[in-house]
Amino acid sequence: MDFSYSTTEKAFQEELRAWLETNLPSGWLDGERKVPKDEKEKGIFLRDWQRKLYEGKWAGISWPKAYGGREASLIEQVIYEQEMVRVKAPPVLNIIGTAMIGPTLLQIGTEKQKDRYVQKIINGEEIWCQGYSEPNAGSDLAAIQTKAEKKGDRWVINGQKVWTSYAHYADQCFLLARTDNSGKKHNGITAFLVDMNQEGVETKPIRSIDDNPIFNEMFFNDAIAYDEDIVGEINEGWKTSLILLSHERVGVARRTFAIQKQFEELVDLAKTLQKNGRSLIKDPIVRQNLTRFRARSRALLMNYYRHLTNIIRTGRPGPEGSMDKMASSELAKEMYAYAMTISGSGNILWGDDAIVSADWQESYLRSFGFTIEGGTSEIQKNIIAERMLGLPKDVKY
Amino acid sequence: MVDFALNEDQEMFQTSTRQYLKSKGGLDIPRRYMDGEAHILQEMWHGLAQQGYLGVNVSERYGGLGQGSLSLVPILEEMGRAIIPGPYPETMAIAVPLLEAYGTEEQKEKYLPEIVDGKRKLTLALLESNGENSPENIQLAANEEDGEYTLHGTKVLVPHGDVADTLIVPVRTGGVHSEYGISLLLVDREDTNIEIQEQQSFEQTRKIAKIKFKETKVAKQQLLGPKNAGWGALQSAMNDLHVALCSTMVGGIDRVVEMANEYGQTRMQFGQPIGRFQAIKHRIVDMRMDLESSRSLTYYAAWALENNAEDMIEAIALARSFTSEAFVRTASENVQIHGGMGFTWEFDCHLFLKRARALENYLGSSDDCLEIAAGELGW
Repeated sequence: MDFSYSTTEKAFQEELRAWLETNLPSGWLDGERKVPKDEKEKGIFLRDWQRKLYEGKWAGISWPKAYGGREASLIEQVIYEQEMVRVKAPPVLNIIGTAMIGPTLLQIGTEKQKDRYVQKIINGEEIWCQGYSEPNAGSDLAAIQTKAEKKGDRWVINGQKVWTSYAHYADQCFLLARTDNSGKKHNGITAFLVDMNQEGVETKPIRSIDDNPIFNEMFFNDAIAYDEDIVGEINEGWKTSLILLSHERVGVARRTFAIQKQFEELVDLAKTLQKNGRSLIKDPIVRQNLTRFRARSRALLMNYYRHLTNIIRTGRPGPEGSMDKMASSELAKEMYAYAMTISGSGNILWGDDAIVSADWQESYLRSFGFTIEGGTSEIQKNIIAERMLGLPKDVKY
Repeated sequence: MVDFALNEDQEMFQTSTRQYLKSKGGLDIPRRYMDGEAHILQEMWHGLAQQGYLGVNVSERYGGLGQGSLSLVPILEEMGRAIIPGPYPETMAIAVPLLEAYGTEEQKEKYLPEIVDGKRKLTLALLESNGENSPENIQLAANEEDGEYTLHGTKVLVPHGDVADTLIVPVRTGGVHSEYGISLLLVDREDTNIEIQEQQSFEQTRKIAKIKFKETKVAKQQLLGPKNAGWGALQSAMNDLHVALCSTMVGGIDRVVEMANEYGQTRMQFGQPIGRFQAIKHRIVDMRMDLESSRSLTYYAAWALENNAEDMIEAIALARSFTSEAFVRTASENVQIHGGMGFTWEFDCHLFLKRARALENYLGSSDDCLEIAAGELGW
């Protein structure tokens, strides 16, 4: 067992730290983290940030050097996530593009697709979203109904998507559409690259529980794509989407590290809050609850390291990712809930009137999404049960 | 390089221990032991010695392998999986560390080779009257005179009191209630007159005894570690024991998850295996998560112990508290998943549940551990 980084890994870490010191927006490291509230301004702010990341070669670190990446190792990618969490860096606006779509196009895209899209993904010139979920599909991704029909040289797309992150910023969409209805539902799906800036594509923000427009509905009304926009083979979109997912190599690293930090913040909160003239953390019940969270957040991190070791040894991610995903989202949710519980009556004040930082309340509400998005906890449990424990599937797919 | 897994040698320990215990009857060992066949333990103990498992963390010059706490992890896990009776954790993780760190040359030469050879089992006779693990409760008096100690008093809840050849006994040689004044004595059964009364145990594979010392004479050479400052020495060895207990509990959790999983796949109800129902399936997954986290926390605690890491005390306390709770939780769930069968004596479920409860409060509760961790964090 060994928990240390190699000399090269340490050098990588230091280079990134030094870069962040000079390149994060001014005041950022001192805690003045101001991301504009207005969605339009926010978009400009985040595009600027990604441009800066790109210029420093920190936008798509696992990418080939020829395309502006660093060909970073798995551990370097983990270090990257860790450092970004440490400074609470602004999010990468084109995360879907840099983490998954770019690498997928580089792997299985045509030359034309690579020329057309790849550079603009990493430098943030074109923002991408993923057209996956549909109102009636939910966790059953293969049940999608959005249709693409070949008419002459065009594919005509009709249907509705939902829960699409970043769609209101997006220029391009990686879309799964049904191209054949005759066989099993996993067959007959095709992956398209669809231009969002065309008539026939409409996005409508969904106001979420935490009052942020992070998701959108997308409507496709005779939207157009061409053969050259297909990734992989016609009717083999399911395979393409699996290739896409395989690029998510570091998995829930960011959430795992974020939880360590959020735990520290929860402790700070308990130290700040007073009850009967003393710091709340001196209350044995509070203290023990916090120590339990400490044990669980440490377990999460150590599980992650064990799973990572396994990935390094075998060369591929296993179903353990589902354990990390489920445990981290459930724990984050419980920790925010506990912050609400100990915050006292002031916790019902919102926004600028909040006594305890409103971040807790926003995070609390936001965290209800954690155990739903990217596969609900229940779906993760099914995956763990079936793939790790060999238990029977509960329904026939 | 981040590498958080057992190494090849340690994995080999795991495989060979499992094979050995299986060849000896696996869960038949605790079953027969609790039915009164005391020789089972003795036979197994000699086998363990032959395989080298009793010398893992003993220095090479006394016949051991000279390995650290991480190498005990896989062996203890396997013992936990099979609910093995006997003082393996106490011998390897209290007696060996204490002897290695504090033993005189004479003591080391006497005890360590005999431990390695399987000729001597040791346990800790710590608790008195109310069973609370604190320095105030050490009242067993040991008066020094003419080169020997005379002991007066009673120890209770002594694990494996029926089979241990030597007891490590914290006694009061000075002070009244404080940490100061506690000394550790090595008390050999063959040389002393002590009265051992077996106490009825909730967990029948792990026997406990009340031990009475009346004018018991112990030679001065049997003092282990510094006189009057034995409490500190004991606490350092207690870290080893807590990690060892965590590993045996992880083994127990591993086995109950396996049992629940097997049963879920084979037990048919309403025309299908019960593991197809999410109500059962998701319970088993929760158990598997408990296993994963217990194992990670325990590995880390063992690593921290072996490397004397800065956060060692905290790491051990967190592992102990989480794992103790997880073992009780998973062993209880296992009974539920087995339904009526799980409620019978014949099925093995209850062995694990009772072991979990027997270890839960052994030398400290989960809450005690949480308070230790909180203290380490400066709260």
